[in-house]
Amino acid sequence: MRRLALLALVVPLLAACGGNRETTKHLLVVVNAPFSSTPYLGRAIENGARLGAAQVNTMGIRVGDEHYSLTVRTMDNALSPARAVANVRRAVSDGAVAIVDEGTGVDASWRIAARKGVPTCIVFAGGQSLVDAETRPNVFRIAPTDHGIAFRLAEYLIPKNVQVALLHDDSDYGSAGAKQLARAFAGDRESVAIDETVPADALDLSPQILRARRAHATALLVWGRPATIAAAITAARLAGWNVPFYTPPTGADPFVRQQLADHPSWVDGLTFAAGRLTAEVGAQPFTGFAQRYAAAYGVDRVGVRTSAGASVTEPPETPMYAYDFVNLLAAALTKAGSTDPAKVTKALEEVTVEGANGDERAFNRSSHDGVVDDDVYFARFHDMTYAPVKDDPLSATLPPIPQTTQ
Amino acid sequence: MRRVAVIVAALACAGAAHAAQRVALPSPIAPLSAQPPLAGGARTSAENVAHQVSAATNVAVAIDEAGTPFAVTTTQRLDVRGVGDYFFTIGAPVLAVRAPADSASVPGMRTGSIVWAGFDPGERVLISRATLEPAKAVPALPLRIRVRRGTVTLENSTGITVETFSADAPRAPLVAYLARLRGEVAHGRTPLQTSVPLASAPTNERITVAAPLHITGTIGRQRIDLLLSKRTRIHGSGRIELRAEPVEHVDEVTAGSGRVLLREAIRATLTLARANQYDEFLGNPDPAGSSRTVYAYRTSSPPHAAPIAAVGRNRRTWVETALVVATLAAALLAGAALWARS
Repeated sequence: MRRLALLALVVPLLAACGGNRETTKHLLVVVNAPFSSTPYLGRAIENGARLGAAQVNTMGIRVGDEHYSLTVRTMDNALSPARAVANVRRAVSDGAVAIVDEGTGVDASWRIAARKGVPTCIVFAGGQSLVDAETRPNVFRIAPTDHGIAFRLAEYLIPKNVQVALLHDDSDYGSAGAKQLARAFAGDRESVAIDETVPADALDLSPQILRARRAHATALLVWGRPATIAAAITAARLAGWNVPFYTPPTGADPFVRQQLADHPSWVDGLTFAAGRLTAEVGAQPFTGFAQRYAAAYGVDRVGVRTSAGASVTEPPETPMYAYDFVNLLAAALTKAGSTDPAKVTKALEEVTVEGANGDERAFNRSSHDGVVDDDVYFARFHDMTYAPVKDDPLSATLPPIPQTTQ
Repeated sequence: MRRVAVIVAALACAGAAHAAQRVALPSPIAPLSAQPPLAGGARTSAENVAHQVSAATNVAVAIDEAGTPFAVTTTQRLDVRGVGDYFFTIGAPVLAVRAPADSASVPGMRTGSIVWAGFDPGERVLISRATLEPAKAVPALPLRIRVRRGTVTLENSTGITVETFSADAPRAPLVAYLARLRGEVAHGRTPLQTSVPLASAPTNERITVAAPLHITGTIGRQRIDLLLSKRTRIHGSGRIELRAEPVEHVDEVTAGSGRVLLREAIRATLTLARANQYDEFLGNPDPAGSSRTVYAYRTSSPPHAAPIAAVGRNRRTWVETALVVATLAAALLAGAALWARS
């Protein structure tokens, strides 16, 4: 009894000793990405989220009387929807305040996160059905949508009076793109010479390319995985067909250049659509972000060289999206005045931050897509690096981004 | 508050001006009250490009049989010129917003605003169709309609009383300014503020100004076409379909004294400011851009609240359920005992 009385006296005294020191609490942000299957993509998302968290943590986040910092934890989905769902279940039970997701399995996992109101932000997959502010109120996206890419490609190609061969592979990505391309070209079907599905794992696409040539195609739009794009270019060039190629963002994947490294001229002229990397203020915000990224994690080398011998690097586009989301999350926590994920989800619809590219980054109550269709630009390869095209109003305003190092 | 400050500043200028012999007249474009435009108006946060924007807004007001508004929807068309990014925030107590098929982009929605973001390749037409919160939008409407026993009262609700001043003044500068103002308005140019010399110390004065409304349409079978400054009563009944458009107009210069002309100039600028204010019901992200608003009032059937179904409250707590079960069991046992003894 005497010991208890002594304890009752000492404990409050000890607590009082630290009275003026503010403790920082931690909020968990989970990155759910394919670290084992496509490590480059997984690491890109993780690094972007970590860089964002590091920046936020320099000042911390004040919510009411409490001071918070963000802690990033990774979970490998291995491109498996089942594993992605299991990861989200674990993230929610561990009290995650938000999930940064590559996109695999979101069709199933969003409901698990929604039960606790946990916001999930997709930073890679562009499928139209993944994000719907009304039916999936906790799902957000910062990445170009397939819809935006397809419609911008149609907007760019149709006025050129080309006969387009639409080739898409049978992967989920290729099928989703085919749907959007069909919608985008629906009003101008006479521009389409042929519409073909090709196997995603085919090493030789010569028969399909031959059919496209016989259909009098004057341009090839290939929507598929990087391997499909590389195989299509190889088949066309081996057949001596110098047709121009157009692709979604996968055309800029390092894998395409690695596959064609022995024939750099085959890559020349490849034009791809992607989310813009710079804003009207110029390249400075993005290059500043790229420098901070490189200082923290090193440059991402593509594995090929220019004709002058410079090593080609990959600008940190996907990391930029994850980085921007973490900054939006911090703004939403402050706006919500609460760490309750459901309140943070609502607040995400009301905040705007300056993105890593200097552009406004925001969601709203009717759209949870942080990259609008207007932000899709076109770039063309030359000598293993790319630059914005000059024959598109948006692209013509954008400066090229440095992509080489020694 | 900003408008009061404008008037107070003008008056302060006027007070000090007699010695300096010049005074600033009220601005013909500065708003005289907090709204319209609704919810703080429109603003842009684009990066480098100042877009030229023309705004045309249709405000559809659904009224009931008594003339009371119960729903307000707006269709705003923004004609945007200039190559570059845009990020427009249009203040409005918005409940829902969508884009019609002829809009080049889709608007977003936030609490208290419609949001536009994208890239303008040179010319872009942005059209939003928004449903507004009636309680917040109705007080900013320019026309009140009351229907009672075969009489329809139309009341211009844009009237506002503001602090201003009067003084003696030379006629010539005022005649020149009023003529210039009249020309600017007639040619659709933005009217400019000016200063004029005074010939005596200014004294405080309060005047009431209203935006004149051109009312057209029908009440029943009766065609209506009138200029409404205050209030009018029309004998008639039936379905109401009226359009109200703020009128920006400056009367011809009269042959009055300098004091009278100064009063006319002040009234003209304040009336223009009021009409300009009601032409910007939703605002324009380009402060120098033109804005027009047409208010369309139409008799409609208000949505009826769904009848509340008579639902019996037969949910019991577990305690109540246990008691019922125990009572039934006891009754059964007692019945069984009685039956066994009989």
